[in-house]
Amino acid sequence: MSSTEQGTSSAAPAEPTTAPESAAAPEVPESFYYVHGKDKVVHKVSAGALQHSALIHGMISNLGYTEEQAKANPFPFENIDGDILQMVVDWCNQHKGKPTPPEDTNLPKQKEKLFDLVLAVNYLEIKELLTYCCKQVAMMVKGKSPEEIREIWMIPTDAEDEAAEKEAKKRAGKEAAGETAAAAGDAK
Amino acid sequence: MKLSKFPRLVQKEILDNMEMLDIFLVSFLSKNMKKMIKLSQISRFKTINRVVYGYYPFQDNRAVVIPFPMAEHLEEFIKRRKEAKNEYFQLNVSGNEMDFRLPDKGKYRLYDFPEASFDKSDQESVLKSIHYYLLDFFGDSVDYQLSTNYYAHLIPKLPHLSVCVTFNLSVLHDMKSFEDFLSSTPVLKRIQMHVCGTKKRLSPESKLYQAEYIRTIQHDPHFPAVLRHFQGRQAFLSFAKCEDLELIEFVKRWKSGEAFQKLEYMKIKMTDNKPPRYEVLNAVGVKYTDKTKQPPTHTLAKVFITGDCKPYTDPIISHSYVVRESDNRVASVSIHRNELNFGVWNKTEDEFLKLMD
Repeated sequence: MSSTEQGTSSAAPAEPTTAPESAAAPEVPESFYYVHGKDKVVHKVSAGALQHSALIHGMISNLGYTEEQAKANPFPFENIDGDILQMVVDWCNQHKGKPTPPEDTNLPKQKEKLFDLVLAVNYLEIKELLTYCCKQVAMMVKGKSPEEIREIWMIPTDAEDEAAEKEAKKRAGKEAAGETAAAAGDAK
Repeated sequence: MKLSKFPRLVQKEILDNMEMLDIFLVSFLSKNMKKMIKLSQISRFKTINRVVYGYYPFQDNRAVVIPFPMAEHLEEFIKRRKEAKNEYFQLNVSGNEMDFRLPDKGKYRLYDFPEASFDKSDQESVLKSIHYYLLDFFGDSVDYQLSTNYYAHLIPKLPHLSVCVTFNLSVLHDMKSFEDFLSSTPVLKRIQMHVCGTKKRLSPESKLYQAEYIRTIQHDPHFPAVLRHFQGRQAFLSFAKCEDLELIEFVKRWKSGEAFQKLEYMKIKMTDNKPPRYEVLNAVGVKYTDKTKQPPTHTLAKVFITGDCKPYTDPIISHSYVVRESDNRVASVSIHRNELNFGVWNKTEDEFLKLMD
């Protein structure tokens, strides 16, 4: 599991502590990269652990950073909350180089945390973790009545969908009218 | 947690991980949800080959099983309604507001659809509403089957709906009403019947013989005379008494092309401890494959998976085979213990023999 220090908002990232890796020391020195979320806390993660994320793996595969360069250029994921990124980093470290088990029972039980985790994992393209998360989201409604499902997943009724659609059309109309007026003003 | 905030691919992955029952419940929540399910679950729905309305859930991953009580079981559903009022919720099915509850888990699996509650007088309209809802869901390439019994009065004529009948003829007295029942059914897919010492006769044109699949336990081969008049694909027959001559006649009529053109598989079991004699094979003029080579194995996906839960017919591995004169098609024949097994290959004799090369 990686440990972290509270980052600052300055350009230079805070000095992170190294995540303890597996007991056996790797024969070839492993390269590390740095990521931070909305809270600017920097996580040091090995390239092996980051392989789970197709997005990050694609970004780093041709960089050839030195340790110093990597430290100086952490990957910013401003759209991901710090605690959610921490969960993702922990999961990648735990499953580094290992076949993923058929189930993962360590996912957050709270709805909102799981929701944020799904969005983060989808963004980072971590396929296996996304599958676990989606299974858990699916399990949330198992054995529930339709109205309970509606409440859990906040599914709007047809009337609400229609009202939202009308509102969206109205807004789009207004925006279009505003743009036309602005364009006419510019022309003058 | 707002499901609609997830990207489409994530929504699909979530739905992929849900059981069919939950998928149906979600589909009732809004038009948008139903549309999303239909679009995202196309590949899953393609694996479904039948929808069965019935009383007993069974194990078949290709089937969607809808709880639907027939005649005598209806009382049980109504009683449950009185005892568990709070468990019910309303759903709008094809424009009708109906009461449902979550189904109980059956012996092998859970039903795939909530259990409707209705009065006997509404039975037909409820089935109609559910059927149209599912037709819209899965389309008309799926088999829709009503699983019922002879004593049930409800056999509605609905588009793409066929009937699977199970009945016990030990208490049958009125052959006319039995024939009327058979002829009134829209399409007969499967018949399971237990006949106990009835000395009745059915017309050779009876709809019973046109079922795709038949499974019987009967005293002798004369009622019903499946061994003579069957026009379907798969038959599993169990006789208390059957003469070798009747088996010989069956194989000879298949060989000549006079009957059983659609037959794929027939299993005939003798329950009187008098197994068919091997002389039967000589009498029907079987041919033999090279005894030094392993004969090919004949097995087929069953048209219906019944109580034994086996998705395939028992393999026939036999050196004996017969050839149909009209099209040179081959059938493997085996006599093993108290059974005669007959499996038709979709191959000519040359093609069949090449299987051993």
